[in-house]
Amino acid sequence: MTLRRGQRPLLALCALLSSCYRVDKPAGPAAAAAVPAGDGRTLRVFIWSEYMDPDIVGAFEKQSGARVILDTFESNEAMLAKLQGGGATYDLVVPSSYVVQTMVRAGLLQPLNRAQLPNLKNVAPEFLNPPYDPGNRYSVPYQYAATGLAYNKSRYVPRSSWAEIFGPEDRRSFVLLDDPREVIGAALKYLGHSANTADVAELRAARDLLRRTVAKKGFQGFDGGPGTRNKLLARQVDLGQIYVGDLLIATEENPQVQVLLPREGTTISMDTLVVLKRSPNPALAHRFINTLLDAEVGARLSNYTYYATPNAAARPLLDDFLKEIPALNPPPQWLQNGKLDFIDELPGRRAQRLYDRIWTELKSR
Amino acid sequence: MTRTHPLLAAWAWLVYAFLYLPIVVLVVFSFNESRFGAEWTGFTTKWYGVLLGRADVRGALGHTLEVALLSTLVSTVLGTLTGLGLWRYTSRARAAVSTLLVLPIVIPDVVMGVMLLMFYAAVRAGLERAGWTFDNGFWTVLLAHVTFQISYVALTVRSRLSGYGPELEEAARDLGASAWQSFWRVVLPLAWPGVLAGALLAFTLSLDDFVVTYFTSGSGFQTLPVLIYTNVKRGVTPDINALSTLLILVTVVAILVANALLRPRGKG
Repeated sequence: MTLRRGQRPLLALCALLSSCYRVDKPAGPAAAAAVPAGDGRTLRVFIWSEYMDPDIVGAFEKQSGARVILDTFESNEAMLAKLQGGGATYDLVVPSSYVVQTMVRAGLLQPLNRAQLPNLKNVAPEFLNPPYDPGNRYSVPYQYAATGLAYNKSRYVPRSSWAEIFGPEDRRSFVLLDDPREVIGAALKYLGHSANTADVAELRAARDLLRRTVAKKGFQGFDGGPGTRNKLLARQVDLGQIYVGDLLIATEENPQVQVLLPREGTTISMDTLVVLKRSPNPALAHRFINTLLDAEVGARLSNYTYYATPNAAARPLLDDFLKEIPALNPPPQWLQNGKLDFIDELPGRRAQRLYDRIWTELKSR
Repeated sequence: MTRTHPLLAAWAWLVYAFLYLPIVVLVVFSFNESRFGAEWTGFTTKWYGVLLGRADVRGALGHTLEVALLSTLVSTVLGTLTGLGLWRYTSRARAAVSTLLVLPIVIPDVVMGVMLLMFYAAVRAGLERAGWTFDNGFWTVLLAHVTFQISYVALTVRSRLSGYGPELEEAARDLGASAWQSFWRVVLPLAWPGVLAGALLAFTLSLDDFVVTYFTSGSGFQTLPVLIYTNVKRGVTPDINALSTLLILVTVVAILVANALLRPRGKG
């Protein structure tokens, strides 16, 4: 989900630069007429890889007579940089929740037309009206993953607690996710704080905890989901912080690898569906969103990606295998009692700088 | 020739192993049954079948080759002319041009990509005001590749010629050759190995490029590197290993063929 070390700040700079040049500034009527109105025949989607069942796309193409183009990106930052530069014409994009506000502020998104989304009623109430997009004006939840602790049970079964990583003892080897918000978020959850806190004292405590953690003998570095998964399969490490879906995809082949949600609570990252302001075919985009919100389609999607569905109507239709895994379906009350935090946009530049500084310090060790 | 010291030979083998073992592992794992490649779970060729069935891979391969071939052709011609110009003419502008040529090489890819992205956006905004529209895609990627390829071609051509003075061309003119003849009979044959090396370099760079291509391509136009790189989020699937194996095979065969063809007149 992240870029290689050192590329991130550079890309952020580029995104900043490119945002100085606004492509979608209101133009005169003549210019507006020149923008292709959209033929209603092609739907362009910008999405993470392996995040859409090709059969769903095929069925939609047949039913609507439209062609669907799926282009992939590998990080929210790269996606944002490309869209802010006005590089390509897309109708539908699948950003993570914490960049939705950024996209709204950059003027990239158009408000959704609820009349065209009757299936919105299928979404579980706890995922509607989220903090990153009050009233779901611009986004619809797509798929989500809680962040859990993965392990290989042939080697070792951990307690259901972040203490396995952050606790004082140092007997186990572990990897952390290569993502600042996830790592700092987990430390904050272990300390009993919100993963989106801007409180300096709380952040200082998390920083000290993380300093001690990365100094442990067992610390094996930062890694993405696939890397962590492979290390667990190869029994190179005892524990790994991971997006639940990234591990589950391997459990069928090797039931020895398992994942749990620490009892102190954890973070969840929600990916969303948004329609671009410059979308040439907004009606088609809405139609596709509505299809994805269908109960049967929603279940097929999760059965394909192994990510959790916010679609309440789809849940009974999930494969039994997925229904049985508690880590995929965190108890709904966790969202209400503050155990489960969406990764939100940070409140203010100051908080952002604090998170950045902690992360830079950890990575430069 | 003295015999190589055994320690040096051992070191050399170690270096070779370091360089080539990852490739061997990749090739071996393209035949691994497992979807995740961490453990050997059995021999299979199914990933090659999966690969052949993937329309997105076929499309991306086509785009990659189209862009690589055409951009190499264009940049080789332009780059060779630039290199020759730099060799032949001495003027104050030469220093400026030399600096400009080094720029695409030293600028980080990300910056180059975003710069081009913004440039295209500006051009597009201007054209839309005039009532024309275009979408980023084949042509924008092609142009982007040419911009950085020219530098590599021009610099290899110039360094190839740097040992020769302009008097060679003058001598040819004294002996009665026209400007045209001296170019084709004297200058170009001298520069030829540089042109060829530059072209190969340009081709490889185009084939490899991810960052610039990512930013300059529009919707529906992905190249292989973009397709593969954006797969990292959920982990590279074994059919991509199969694809890499095929690419390595093609490259090795191409090198062998090139060697065989060049050897008889390899005096340069």
